[in-house]
Amino acid sequence: MTNFIQQIVSGLASGGIYGLLALALVLIHRSTGVINFAQGEMATLSAFVCWTLISHGWAFWPAFGATLVLSFAGGLALETTIIRPIQGGPLLGIVILTIGLLIAFNGLDTWIWGGAAKQFHGPFSTAPIRVGGVAFSKQDLGVIAVAFVVLALVGVLFTRTRLGLGLRAAAVNPDEARLVGVRVPSMLALGWGLAAVLGAIAGVMAAPSLFLEPNMMQTVLLYAFAAAVLGGMDSPLGAVVGGLLLGVLLNLVGTYVHWIGGELRLATALAVILAVLLVRPSGLFGRAAARRV
Amino acid sequence: MTRNLCALALAALALAGIAAASTSGTPGVSSTTITLGSSGPLTGEAAAAAGVLRGAEGYFKYVNARGGVNGRKIDFKYLDDGYDPSRTVQNVRQLIQQDNVFALFSVVGTNGNLAIRDFANASGVPTVFSASGATTFGKEYAKYPWTIGYLPPYAEEGQLYAKHILATNAKKAKIAVLYQSDDYGKDVLAGFRKGLGAKARSLIVQTVGYDPTASDVQSQVAQLKASGANTFCIFAFGKFAIQSFVYANKLGWKPQIYVNDVASASSIMLLNPQSTAEGAISILWGKDPATPKFKKDAGTALGAKIVKKYIPGGNPSDGFLIAGMAEAFSMVDALKAAGKNLTRKGLMNAVTHMNEANNPFLVPGVKVHTTPTFRFPIASAQLQRWHNRHWEPFGGVQSAKL
Amino acid sequence: MRPKQVAFGLGVLVLVVLPFVLSDFRTVQLATVGAYFIAILGLDVLTGHSGQISLGHGAFMAVGGYTTAILMANHGVRDLVTIPIAAAVAGGIGLVAGVPALRLSGLYLALATFGIAVVLPTILKKFDHFTGGSTGITLFGKPTQTGHGVGVWGLTNNQWLYVLTWTIGCALFLFAWWLLDSRFGRSLRAVRDSELAAAASGVNRAKYKVLAFGVSAAFAGVAGALFAINVAYTSPDTFPITLSLYLLVGAVVGFFGSIWGAALGALLIQFLPDIVGLIPHVDPKQGGPTTFFFGLVLVVLMLALPLVLRVASRVANRGYLGAR
Repeated sequence: MTNFIQQIVSGLASGGIYGLLALALVLIHRSTGVINFAQGEMATLSAFVCWTLISHGWAFWPAFGATLVLSFAGGLALETTIIRPIQGGPLLGIVILTIGLLIAFNGLDTWIWGGAAKQFHGPFSTAPIRVGGVAFSKQDLGVIAVAFVVLALVGVLFTRTRLGLGLRAAAVNPDEARLVGVRVPSMLALGWGLAAVLGAIAGVMAAPSLFLEPNMMQTVLLYAFAAAVLGGMDSPLGAVVGGLLLGVLLNLVGTYVHWIGGELRLATALAVILAVLLVRPSGLFGRAAARRV
Repeated sequence: MTRNLCALALAALALAGIAAASTSGTPGVSSTTITLGSSGPLTGEAAAAAGVLRGAEGYFKYVNARGGVNGRKIDFKYLDDGYDPSRTVQNVRQLIQQDNVFALFSVVGTNGNLAIRDFANASGVPTVFSASGATTFGKEYAKYPWTIGYLPPYAEEGQLYAKHILATNAKKAKIAVLYQSDDYGKDVLAGFRKGLGAKARSLIVQTVGYDPTASDVQSQVAQLKASGANTFCIFAFGKFAIQSFVYANKLGWKPQIYVNDVASASSIMLLNPQSTAEGAISILWGKDPATPKFKKDAGTALGAKIVKKYIPGGNPSDGFLIAGMAEAFSMVDALKAAGKNLTRKGLMNAVTHMNEANNPFLVPGVKVHTTPTFRFPIASAQLQRWHNRHWEPFGGVQSAKL
Repeated sequence: MRPKQVAFGLGVLVLVVLPFVLSDFRTVQLATVGAYFIAILGLDVLTGHSGQISLGHGAFMAVGGYTTAILMANHGVRDLVTIPIAAAVAGGIGLVAGVPALRLSGLYLALATFGIAVVLPTILKKFDHFTGGSTGITLFGKPTQTGHGVGVWGLTNNQWLYVLTWTIGCALFLFAWWLLDSRFGRSLRAVRDSELAAAASGVNRAKYKVLAFGVSAAFAGVAGALFAINVAYTSPDTFPITLSLYLLVGAVVGFFGSIWGAALGALLIQFLPDIVGLIPHVDPKQGGPTTFFFGLVLVVLMLALPLVLRVASRVANRGYLGAR
């Protein structure tokens, strides 16, 4: 029983990270209509930037703040220089472009920082807290808390601000949005900038427990896809809830279904993706169907 | 039309750039040079292990600067395979057919070596001192006469841990094992079970594998803790071994830890939470420069000098570099013994008649000893315990029955 | 003679001449290029002409490679015989996969195929009694290897692999050319360019999309089989997600999914590391630079897409990644 609860708690901790990255995927999907395959690598790059600042003697929080600012600027720059020229063209073109960014960022990280795993001291203590026989750390609580705080902010942005309305309008119907005075290009750029910020948060939150190396987010990206699909590609709440559910599900299945074990963890996530896409494309919380013909 | 022609022209241009001539004569040996080839994971999740190649390269440069071997300089060529065995095969094909290497030396990784040995043996190219401890490379010499490993056999490593458990805690030990689910992990685990003998069934309470492409092993460690074990064997690489310590610490689990050689360099151990790492046990065969006992040692000093002069950006306390230098030292010995009239047969004769007690990079008492029917160059090791942020060797040098 | 026939003739001529001017080793490297060429042809049919994206063609290569390896190593089937079987197995799986793929368009198909390519190696490792696990399967020296030891027609083993791969490569190129010029190809492009219009003109959308998936997977299966035969070894790590992504890069480099550029894409996959090594102050041994430039090539090409589309729209029977 203790193990059962422990696996759930550990699953929630991993799920928080999946949820954070999924949130970035959802944000970009909602505000620009594409899936960003480079999201995981952007997160890793941001985490490397933060690590570099810290190793140059910065304290965590200033380094984190600077990383978020830099990531935002980076996201804006990416959109304006690389995405915008083919925006409005075939959707697959943009998807393939993000694949190019995935490959390029991964190579860049290896080129600059090398392949060895680096220790990353996060803001939260990893010292164990024990309740009953179940152990967790401030790091775990911190990641989940951050996921919900970010979720709340994204929710406020999208539903309570004119900016959020503009972001949604620009994605759903750019032509009409333009007619009612939304500056569509700025909105799309903003969407990329914000997604880069969310990715940076995910990367920095993941690095202390996963250890920082160029491939850190490669498998996490697939989990984040699964989380986003499970929650519904357009729902920020769905992304976070989907991430937490997925983390718990993977742990329980890995522990109690012996032929799956630790080795088929990724395959389980893929099964979730395929099952949701084929059976209920809108996921748990999404409204838009997966079909976009 | 223009587009099609354009494609052809580009293709032809690319091909013109790669045409190259081949040479004849004794492969890889000229009056002034000996060409050795290798392949290893310069990139990817196992990239740290490529330190072996860089260490060996550094030592060869050091030897070359002092006149080389029997008047010949060693030219050491190594290619990246990203730990993908089919790329190891392609690299080795290039080294043998294009670069005309005299021998393959220190090819990194068990799977890569398994993938190439049929080809290398059919080509009659010595594949010596491979950076793998898989038992098969020492045992199957009748079928693969051109292949010989170097590292202490993984099965032996497992047996040494088992022996230590039986000697110190045979009554109360409840053992949990985390292993990488590939040939490496299964080899160590098999040796470990063999070492426990009849007690394996009762003492091992749980074993859990992980796939090396996974992001973390948090769930596995929680599962092992839940088994109620008081002894934790970590047969895992780099970041997964570190994560094991971190998660054990997080879960408040304080077992007696045994951590495999591939993840026990001081530089890696220092990344672990020290309260959990304290008291961990591993094996040792090469000198870890960070171990106080070897700080003032002549071999350590030589290693540091080589790193400084020939391995730009190298960390002198990187255990992989030292392991590579140890291999290169033995290789130079073998090449010397093979004589001025260097042949591939001569090299194989030399590497199967090793009796080297003066390798400065190996722990005192660990000898490189082979015969044509005993092909485990390093068949002994010492145990060490992590205490107060460094390793302390204890007990004598020992070996296991393979 | 039409220009395309001239171009094809010249291409074949180059292929015939090459083994005489290149070293034995370069010849076998080009055999590997041939395997990539065939996989990219398959991707061209699917992505370039039917507008369905696949980020997982490496997985279909894996199916072909493992079919060949298991048959050769465990069932005594000669390597040449395994090639059509590999095509059939991969093609069959492609057809089956094509049905659910109908329900996923654009983005979601990309996501699902990406996931399959990421996950397949872990599945191959798990079922090791069947696949040999992470150790893989060695085919070198197996009696089922054609010409091993004795050679074929006086060729070296490497030349034989070259002849085998490129003969099949040329045959499949002709097949793809014919297929895309036929009614089938026109229907595929009609579906790609406008599903509604195609349906209105009586084209069975589902049939063509599923068939394209099957044909494309069969190509990849042949490529995987030839790859396994060439390297004489196969393991789960032979078919990583990066292989699938590099195939996509290859297809894009080859004039955005035109079969006429497939050879260029295949050459790039094999030789980009060597090209990167020519850049001053860049050490390709580090690995990072090569990966970086792969990505960069793809990004730069996609940025050039709008221009290319404008040019391509004036050339008939074009292939481009134009699906929405």
